[in-house]
Amino acid sequence: MNGVVSISGMGILCAIGNNRQEVLDALMRKESGIGPMKYLSSVHTDIPVGEIKLSTAEMMQALGITSDTPVSRTSVMGALAVREALEQAGIRDVGGKRVALISGTTVGVMDVTERYYELQKTNPDLPYLPHSNECGRSTEEIARYAGLSDARCCTICTACSSALNAIMLGAEMLKNNEADLVIAGGSEPLSRYHLNGFNTLMILDRERCRPFDDTRAGLNLGEGAAFVVLEKDASHALAYVSGYANRCDAFHQTATSPNGEGAFLAMTEALLQAGIGPDEIDYINAHGTGTPDNDASESTAFQRVFGNGLPPMSSTKSYTGHTTSAAGSVETVICILAMQNGFVPASLGWSHPIPGGVIPTQGCSDVDLKYVMCNSFGFGGNDSSLILAKHAPVAGETKLADASRVALASRCVISNDEQLLQLKEYLSPMETRRMDKLMKACLLSAYTALKEAGIDRPDAIIAATSRGMFETSTLFLEDIIANHEEHLKPTLFMQSTHNTIASAIAIRTGCQGYNITYSQGDESAFWAIRDAKMLLRKGEARTVLVCIFDEEFPLEQAHRYQAESAIYTLQND
Amino acid sequence: MEELIEKLKLQIIDALNLEGMTPDDIDNDAPLFGEGMGLDSIDALELIVVLDKNYGIKLKSPAEGQTVFKSINCIADYIQKNRTK
Repeated sequence: MNGVVSISGMGILCAIGNNRQEVLDALMRKESGIGPMKYLSSVHTDIPVGEIKLSTAEMMQALGITSDTPVSRTSVMGALAVREALEQAGIRDVGGKRVALISGTTVGVMDVTERYYELQKTNPDLPYLPHSNECGRSTEEIARYAGLSDARCCTICTACSSALNAIMLGAEMLKNNEADLVIAGGSEPLSRYHLNGFNTLMILDRERCRPFDDTRAGLNLGEGAAFVVLEKDASHALAYVSGYANRCDAFHQTATSPNGEGAFLAMTEALLQAGIGPDEIDYINAHGTGTPDNDASESTAFQRVFGNGLPPMSSTKSYTGHTTSAAGSVETVICILAMQNGFVPASLGWSHPIPGGVIPTQGCSDVDLKYVMCNSFGFGGNDSSLILAKHAPVAGETKLADASRVALASRCVISNDEQLLQLKEYLSPMETRRMDKLMKACLLSAYTALKEAGIDRPDAIIAATSRGMFETSTLFLEDIIANHEEHLKPTLFMQSTHNTIASAIAIRTGCQGYNITYSQGDESAFWAIRDAKMLLRKGEARTVLVCIFDEEFPLEQAHRYQAESAIYTLQND
Repeated sequence: MEELIEKLKLQIIDALNLEGMTPDDIDNDAPLFGEGMGLDSIDALELIVVLDKNYGIKLKSPAEGQTVFKSINCIADYIQKNRTK
């Protein structure tokens, strides 16, 4: 078991290029891909975006896809990136191998849903369209279009840290000998849905974003797909996965803590796992979105981890825009390109230092990057950090506790309105004012299961859902259509991401440990429980809360929902 | 002014989902954020939508909202001076 996890191939599409070479050239030329929208259809034409310079039809053509039903941009972008990654790794035939495709996305197939939602309501005879909020579908489509039909698919929905968490899961599966070959990353197109969502949060800059600049006024949304091929001990490695960690800020759904605690914990733990000191990091690709909140908080976290010795640091979101769920893999590929070509990408748009804050690099060349850190932080304070190494690190050895020692300490299922009344034992009406029924059911099941197990705060939180926040997502989509993208409710958007539940439980229990959300249809719960057991067996947690939830939300019929929380622990020998 | 305040309070109760609250429960001079009613940054965004949708007032950023949203009286005063509908 164990061994060194290497990256043997990578593929990328984003605003600055449709493949590795184009992306590298644009980074070298310091050329941003952010500009007016061309492919996305929205009334907010004053908002600059970072689009991939291809239409969905052009991407379908490149993949040789013909289809009578609409195809999601998420799926075709993803498939093109996977194909490029497999080609570079020299993998043509995966026969006989245990292959896993792990993708991070939150938009999923929403781009198709939002285009055909109204049409489908009035024409029920139209061919089936994926109005389901199921992110896992896009990963299955990527597998099919990229010629990996037999791969096991897994989708991670932790908002803007999804793709980095996907790479971490891939590395874990290889180390635990659960797969022979993993293709991991993320795919996120622009959608009217999340453009409007971010707009309600008032964090979209009308100018090009300026990460870590004192005049920064928000982020630019971008789209991107990037995947890496992960193998154990590959003979032709481009880079190695050296250390990683996922931690939770547990502060607020949409705001970051002033001291950047979640980011600090993730970076510190990733360094510990890599077995290196902060002074050995040669470049940091920051999360650096350009919002006042993120950059201030990440700045503080950098100062806490690196003191006065901050290595060259930049945010490449000034080139690509914020590719949200795909950001982690888009930026991992950029880090490896920098490593291979001995340069540090410049942070574009920066000119005014934040008083007392960190200063991003304007780029440098002819440098030897031995260790590179890549940060990705998501809604709800889902903070992840990955360390890549140029040379093969020494293989670590982890001892797994026997599987029979994992025990179920308690379980609680909540599925009706009468049960929900008990939530007032735990939360005041003021605290529950923004929560929908599914959120209330999840929190109540979590509180009850924790109480039964005699635990105040779990060490880790893992959620599983097929459709996510289906009611709230549908209501926000209805709101977008009915109000023509104006006067939308931020409350609906911030509560509509799949990871809002795991974050809410973390915030309420103060759990700053590992936090993840899986969404892969009926297999979602399998992935969650698998992960819980592994954390316990590796000794990374002593108690894990697993919350499995879903709902059916036909607009005019009964609303059915169910939330089940279970506490897993490791028993003594 | 009193009519405006009453209407505004109802709009706020609705937008912020303040279940079980009536206009009389909200003190016109009490701070809405922090130690007062305990509203947070998401509530501030919802209040910005209330002003835009009902009074045609467009605030550019949540920071601008901070000075306007001090109390009900403060918001009502701002509406009277700046409303476009």
